[in-house]
Amino acid sequence: MKSRRFLTIAALVAVIWSLLPIYWFCRMAFLTPTEIQRFPWPLIPHAPNLASFFNIFGFNYRLASGIVSPASGQAGQIINGLEDSLIVSTAVMVLTLAIVLPLSYVFARIEFAFKNVLLFAILLAVALPPVSTLIPFYTMYIRVGLAGTLTGLVIVDLTITVPFVAWMLIGYFRNLPPIERLARVDGYGRLAAFGQLVLPLARSGVAVAAVIAFLFAWNEYTYALVLVNGTTANTLPTAISGFLYQYPEPGNLAAAVLVTIVPPAMVAYFLQRHIGEMNLVDPLR
Amino acid sequence: MASEPALRLGARRLGISFGRRRRELSDTQFALAIGAPVLAFLVLVVAYPLGYAVWMSLHRIIFFGGYRAVFVGLSNFQKVLADQDFWWSTWVTVRITAEVVVLTMLVGLGFALVLNRRVPAGGVVRTVICLPWCVSTYGAGLMFAYLARGQTGLGTSLAYAVGITHPVDLMTSDVVIEVLAVGAAWTMAPLVAFFLLANLKTIPRRLYDLAALDQLSPLETFWNVTLPPLRYTLFVFTSIVTVLTMKLFDFIFVMTGGGPGETSATLTYEVYKISFKNLDLGYGAAMSFYLLFLIIGTTFLLYLVWGRREVTR
Repeated sequence: MKSRRFLTIAALVAVIWSLLPIYWFCRMAFLTPTEIQRFPWPLIPHAPNLASFFNIFGFNYRLASGIVSPASGQAGQIINGLEDSLIVSTAVMVLTLAIVLPLSYVFARIEFAFKNVLLFAILLAVALPPVSTLIPFYTMYIRVGLAGTLTGLVIVDLTITVPFVAWMLIGYFRNLPPIERLARVDGYGRLAAFGQLVLPLARSGVAVAAVIAFLFAWNEYTYALVLVNGTTANTLPTAISGFLYQYPEPGNLAAAVLVTIVPPAMVAYFLQRHIGEMNLVDPLR
Repeated sequence: MASEPALRLGARRLGISFGRRRRELSDTQFALAIGAPVLAFLVLVVAYPLGYAVWMSLHRIIFFGGYRAVFVGLSNFQKVLADQDFWWSTWVTVRITAEVVVLTMLVGLGFALVLNRRVPAGGVVRTVICLPWCVSTYGAGLMFAYLARGQTGLGTSLAYAVGITHPVDLMTSDVVIEVLAVGAAWTMAPLVAFFLLANLKTIPRRLYDLAALDQLSPLETFWNVTLPPLRYTLFVFTSIVTVLTMKLFDFIFVMTGGGPGETSATLTYEVYKISFKNLDLGYGAAMSFYLLFLIIGTTFLLYLVWGRREVTR
């Protein structure tokens, strides 16, 4: 009985720890302009309204008090950024899977020469800090005309998602039962065994890998800041950072950040059910 | 291969179809056929910028009065070692990394232990604990900036609520690094929690029954039954969190911008400042290599003092 109560309290603390920063920030999206001018801001919005969400997508909104909350000047940027982010994230997700699935399968199941050297090269790519490669990428992109393009951003994102997802999936494929050996005895070719038997069996791992690749590209900020900021190839994070410097409007800022959390939050429920099946701990074993 | 035709004949008789096509690739050939394009991609997009960074670090690159690059050998690397700001940033990086790693592992382990038991509304708790991971690091930077700052912070609101009309600012030079560490741990703990949870699920229930038979206290049970199978995962994630924290940039950039003053300027921030604000590309590249050495050196040290024992165990 005592341990039951302790457990409930621990769960409550965990929930508060996880939600407090999100609540504190996102409640600003629901405050009225008069509440934002007060000091300090109220802990709870007294008349929650959706004005900021209309404003960031370019619509005026009439508050209950009759005051019109004007559309944000950043609306064009936000909509453009939302489109670009969707394009980039989807492309990164698809390409990462196309590259990584066969690669990690080969590393997990087949013994061959230079395997450890190749594996080490992949792991080194995980350790590289982005600040070291920012300038070379920028200079290289200026030279080949990729700066300020979505293609360039996709390529940069791939340099991070490919090693990271490969590392996860190698451990995962290793845990699958070796059914493709039986399939090969039955006359399946290598690719057929992989495509028709291994992939369907591994779908939850593949799904988690897809989500992680998508989330990374969706949330990537540093490269986007340097490579595409201020161009038409703006992504959502850089579009949002426009709120920070040009026209401080905390309600709109909070609404925009909340919008970026929605797609990942929808997959959060999905993730928590599947991630327990993964074992990414050790590709070298 | 004298036995080849006989083998194929036998295979065909068994209904195996590979005989009709040309002989299959060997394992190594198959692996290289799939691995080579990826390797080429990695060389192009990782090794090329890395090589370019080496070239920059050996040059003095000047933009004003026309672009010039003068070869200066290793002098950039020497200059870094005499730079006060570099040593301050190294100290900040080490301090924040140590704090983030300890906090992330403790919080992650705590989450995993809670999620491994039956809690009321378990699915909701699990999803909520997952949420910070869905928040991007720049989003988390904004959230913690608003949470800690004097004008907008939780501390101020609470102080006013109990009648103390004095703003509470947590972004002061004394504690700003600790506030950053809490924020970074907040974003990373769910990842650790979920992989520890996956490991906890593999511990057989009867071990706990045996522990109960032996009348072990909860602490002894944790120490002798729960912890041993987690140790390797704990090591791997300590390394991962170390690397991620040392690489962390956008969170710090958004939340404090290295400030107040230079108080929270980590090495990543310092490299950014030198390269993008001062436009001293050669010097910035040289400093970024010290950061890379620090990252590789620390993970290697972790492996030597801890990981090696776990691998051979």
